[in-house]
Amino acid sequence: MVENIKKVRTAVIGLGKMGLLHACILNVLPNVEVVAICDKSFMLRKFFQRVFRRVQFADDVADLAGLDLDAVYITTPIPSHFAVARSVFANGVAGNVFVEKTLASSYDEATKMIGLARHSKGTNMVGYMKRFGVTFAKAKEILSQEMLGELRSFDAYAYSSDFAVSDRRSKISGSRGGVLGDLGSHVIDLAFWFFGDLELTGGTLSSLTGSASEDEASFTVRGLNDIEGRFNISWCKAEYRMPEFGLIVQGTKGVLKVNDDEVHLESGQEKSKVLFRHDLGDNVDFLLGDPEYCREDECFVKSILRGERIEPDFLTASKVDYLIDEVKKKTAI
Amino acid sequence: MKFLVGDNPFHGISHLSQERSRARGDTIKSIDHDAQLVLTSLANGADGFMFSVSETTLSILEVLRKDYKAKDLPLYAIVPYAYEYVRLATQSGGILGLATHVARNIAFSGNIEAMATGAKGLIRMDVQSLLKTYLIYEISRIRSSIGKQGSLCSLMLHELITEITLSLDLDWLVRSFVDFMLKRGISPGFETRNFPLLVSKLRKWKIDLKQITIATPFNRVGFQMNPSKIDCEKTLAEIPESNVIAMSILAAGYLRIPEAVEYVRALPNLKGVVVGVSKESHAHETFRLLREKYGE
Repeated sequence: MVENIKKVRTAVIGLGKMGLLHACILNVLPNVEVVAICDKSFMLRKFFQRVFRRVQFADDVADLAGLDLDAVYITTPIPSHFAVARSVFANGVAGNVFVEKTLASSYDEATKMIGLARHSKGTNMVGYMKRFGVTFAKAKEILSQEMLGELRSFDAYAYSSDFAVSDRRSKISGSRGGVLGDLGSHVIDLAFWFFGDLELTGGTLSSLTGSASEDEASFTVRGLNDIEGRFNISWCKAEYRMPEFGLIVQGTKGVLKVNDDEVHLESGQEKSKVLFRHDLGDNVDFLLGDPEYCREDECFVKSILRGERIEPDFLTASKVDYLIDEVKKKTAI
Repeated sequence: MKFLVGDNPFHGISHLSQERSRARGDTIKSIDHDAQLVLTSLANGADGFMFSVSETTLSILEVLRKDYKAKDLPLYAIVPYAYEYVRLATQSGGILGLATHVARNIAFSGNIEAMATGAKGLIRMDVQSLLKTYLIYEISRIRSSIGKQGSLCSLMLHELITEITLSLDLDWLVRSFVDFMLKRGISPGFETRNFPLLVSKLRKWKIDLKQITIATPFNRVGFQMNPSKIDCEKTLAEIPESNVIAMSILAAGYLRIPEAVEYVRALPNLKGVVVGVSKESHAHETFRLLREKYGE
């Protein structure tokens, strides 16, 4: 059922890289109107007022109330997600809320956000955009068809060189949510999507600078039917020019390898099969950054218009926060 | 028809497989080697060099300045080098940190014109002046690296900037960019992965397609041709007056050069093709085949 909204009136809160990216994509979607942008920085507001010419600017979330908004995007740094979301709901800014990953900086905050969202009765979503990548979606399809037989184990990795050389690593690490929140959350979410609930069995979280920064994580999990999983996450891998995310899944009938670029299936007696992005229909109506972002925003907007739930919602995404909390609690830097 | 050698392999870029790119990044580390690949491509039929302006490509230009025997090597530059800027934004804590870094670089460049325009832009928070400052800075970096051995034919906005101007309908900024470049005798260019949208906006903004250069993917499998391969082909067929350079013709290594060339050869209205090469043998094969298929 489509509600009587001609255009989804939207505000973006937090004008960093992700805020700018979503604002630009939303501005191109036919059934969305970006009407307001909120950012604490005076300089950013002043600069972007010249660029977003028919958009209202605010420095406080409460100022967005009264703009008759249908949706907000929260794209501020992770540690502020909870406070911003609380203000959005408390001030009745909008009922439909998109939060960039991770949902919150702790599971406790995440559960409070679920409660707030439930009360508002709108659509909510968390920006785990890898689910909208064609290769990971294909892998999910292969796993759902049980082509690997009974699943035995998986190895998940997320590597980047973002802080391979940086004297400001510890300062930035905190504001970005540490390596688990910033980088690892993508593959943790994919693992939940692929395998269902997972429980931490051990691991280590390391700082490479000697300070309290979280730069590398390695941990193990156990899931349904005793599947064993291993995660390796680091943003200090100099050889990774671009961030890379992937999983290798072992089943009784074969092996599946998937990353952003390709899906590789070795199953039974059949010849191994490789599918690239090119083979999987990767075009979108408007490409900015990766195609995943456009698909993600389109799905959120469609769900608002139809009054439907969309995955990953706050509840689903809170599992990632829970596992990250567990890793932090049970492993010492 | 222009055949250009591209720089993606010099940065270890592969849109087909990051694993492959990493492996290649491990093996290609020498600026001299990369410059030699450009020279081999030129000797085998390439007409010019298309590159993102980075420390790597500026160093390659410095080698070409010494080793390129002819003069006025046609250059097609793309700014900014988005990968470096996105990484800087990540490492410096966001857009403000990045802006501070770029401003510092311009201030220390000693380019008086850039500094004067930049100061005006900062005081008034004038986006056009800030863009001009940045363009002056990049043009100056290119020219001081290549000297008289090269001729900057086009300065193109990187796809990230192009797509942002499209999404936000920044006609005034695009016009300002086009006018500024034309006054300097350089063709204003746009790299895009939303080709039909770019053409439709440029027409709406009454910007003469004859005066600008567009670099956009064209390949048999429709890779990065948005919203669809058919839409991109249809748009190209409608604009004989344009200067469109096909990029990603190999679909990031998914296609082999003969089938890639077969496809672009059949497209109407293309004015150029850019292909990156990572080995001497590629440089020989690629540009000889392009010349042969185009009967030139």
